[in-house]
Amino acid sequence: MAEIAAPAPSPTRPKLALDGRAFLSRWGALLALVGLIAFNLAFTPNFATWQTLNVNLTQVCAIVIVGVGMTLVIATGGIDLSVGALMAIAGALAPLIFMGKLFPLPHPMVGVALAFVLPVLAAGALGWFNGWLVTRFRIQPIVATLVLFIAGRGIAQVMTNGNLQVFKAPEFQFIGLGRVFGIPFQAVLMVIVVAAAAWMLRRTLFGRQILAVGGNERAARLAGIPVGAVKRRAYLISGLLAGVAGLIVIARNSAADANLVGLGMELDAIAAVAVGGTLLTGGRATIVGTLVGALIIQLVRYTLLANGVPDAAALIVKAGIIVLAVWLQRQSHR
Amino acid sequence: MRRREFLILTGGLILTAGSAREALAQLPKITKKDTYRVGFAQTESNNPWRIAQTKSMQDEAKKRGWQLVYTDAAGSAAKQVADVNSMIAQKVDAIFLAPREEKPLIPAVMQAKRAGIPVILLDRSVDPSLAKAGEDYVTFIGSDFIEEGRRAGEWLVKTMNGKANIIELQGTTGSSPANDRRKGFADFIKDHAGMKIVASQSGDFARDKGRQVAETLLQANPTATAIYAHNDEMAIGAIAALEAAGKKPGTDVTIVSIDGTRDALQAIIDGKMGATVECSPFFGPIAFDTLVRFGGGETIPPKIINQDRFFDRANAKQFVAEAY
Repeated sequence: MAEIAAPAPSPTRPKLALDGRAFLSRWGALLALVGLIAFNLAFTPNFATWQTLNVNLTQVCAIVIVGVGMTLVIATGGIDLSVGALMAIAGALAPLIFMGKLFPLPHPMVGVALAFVLPVLAAGALGWFNGWLVTRFRIQPIVATLVLFIAGRGIAQVMTNGNLQVFKAPEFQFIGLGRVFGIPFQAVLMVIVVAAAAWMLRRTLFGRQILAVGGNERAARLAGIPVGAVKRRAYLISGLLAGVAGLIVIARNSAADANLVGLGMELDAIAAVAVGGTLLTGGRATIVGTLVGALIIQLVRYTLLANGVPDAAALIVKAGIIVLAVWLQRQSHR
Repeated sequence: MRRREFLILTGGLILTAGSAREALAQLPKITKKDTYRVGFAQTESNNPWRIAQTKSMQDEAKKRGWQLVYTDAAGSAAKQVADVNSMIAQKVDAIFLAPREEKPLIPAVMQAKRAGIPVILLDRSVDPSLAKAGEDYVTFIGSDFIEEGRRAGEWLVKTMNGKANIIELQGTTGSSPANDRRKGFADFIKDHAGMKIVASQSGDFARDKGRQVAETLLQANPTATAIYAHNDEMAIGAIAALEAAGKKPGTDVTIVSIDGTRDALQAIIDGKMGATVECSPFFGPIAFDTLVRFGGGETIPPKIINQDRFFDRANAKQFVAEAY
């Protein structure tokens, strides 16, 4: 798993004594994923099929895409609670645009193009607003993003009057239903997002700056890193990705429901990040880890559902996995 | 709120509720008038069904020239109690209440009774051990969820000739429509040995969740030949799941559900869905009629069950335009 540590000060880093635990914390998530797959191969009927892979990939997409943005924000030492609400806003906005309810459209295809661009930009702008609150007024991220967590869904509901918007727009729905060489387009999109973010975090200046800011903000500032700008950009990316995820969800369902799109997504995304091995205090992040974390959460849900365990139990198991992941993290970083 | 204030307040509530019971065993009366000023305390308006219900009430009030005081509790029982109190303060002639939960709304019903304002409950009821129809409130108007489940089961048995592997998509765990719709369906099919429920999970009454759960259950139970969804939104999610899995909804897998939304009727017309049992949100006419009858001195039965229709291929086209 690609893991990048910031050049952060760690005066009491444990030496070789905790090798076994360090190994677990580094590879534990991946081991868990392999274990889950093995369990399913043995016990779940019809698991080893192409369709199972399809179902799981399409269901995990939204969590992964939102989780990547969340990883960046958490890497700066922040958190973004508003992603679910931003998904709802993007999801409510897109049908309004391509059905021509907001403004008259010269051509349906123009509407479809705008329906991809504008909602994502709107979500990005609101993400930037989160970053602005955090940096300009020094509001704690959990409080700053709580603003849109609460208000965002309300905005989406006001836009649509709380009504379900139903549509049939094959060109637009390509993002959720289309296939490229037999692979769901959203899975392709997910891989691109993960690869781009992982590369960015490792190889670019911005990536290093994110980790530096999260590792030790004061040191980063003294080293001349524009801390505020870096943070705002991380929240902006988180908002943009939430917007994309919102579009995928509504495209799959042929309906936008402002009340339900992205509901609880912030928690799934944070869980994926935590399970993946990103440090929740910032400074250390792994995008591939987030992908693995999201896959674990998805597979746990699939496993329990397919074997007839009620959904409520799945929630408890999910919580158990998060606790275990955080405990493992603490073992190697105390 | 400080602890002492809280204790005094709750104590006061209990006392008022208690004294109200003793003081008045009789239902409040209203004088006969041509038009009434009535309150409608809606519980929330975050789904198409609730919105259709509100619209029906508002349209009926407009049609009759009555004044309607409308409040929306936004999913909070506490706010709904406060809403009813403000209606009492405004001295409305009667209150239509769609109680969010069975117990928390009892104080609201009792306070209205003490103020001499009759209450009519819509679509959900209150705890029968704490408040009685014909004594504390006029009546309950709504659908019989158990009957809805039974009718869905009956149709499925007939259509599948008594033989089916069924995936059940349940509503929100613990909600009364989900419990009753499951019970009604299960009670009916248990006499038919060929009807087997192979998997049953909650899809939370929502399209997206219903789709995801259906995708998973279809994958784990490829022998399924029928899907019973507790509402139309989940059924439509299941159609999407079937199509994604390369199966033909309506042909490979038969779907039956409950509600009667426009989308569901369209799916029936398209041949993707088999049938849906109506759970009517159109409360306006019957609610207002009941109040007029009550004002005229008639005795109202403790329960008025909506006459819900049944939609299948035979009549979906005819009703799709008026569906919500």
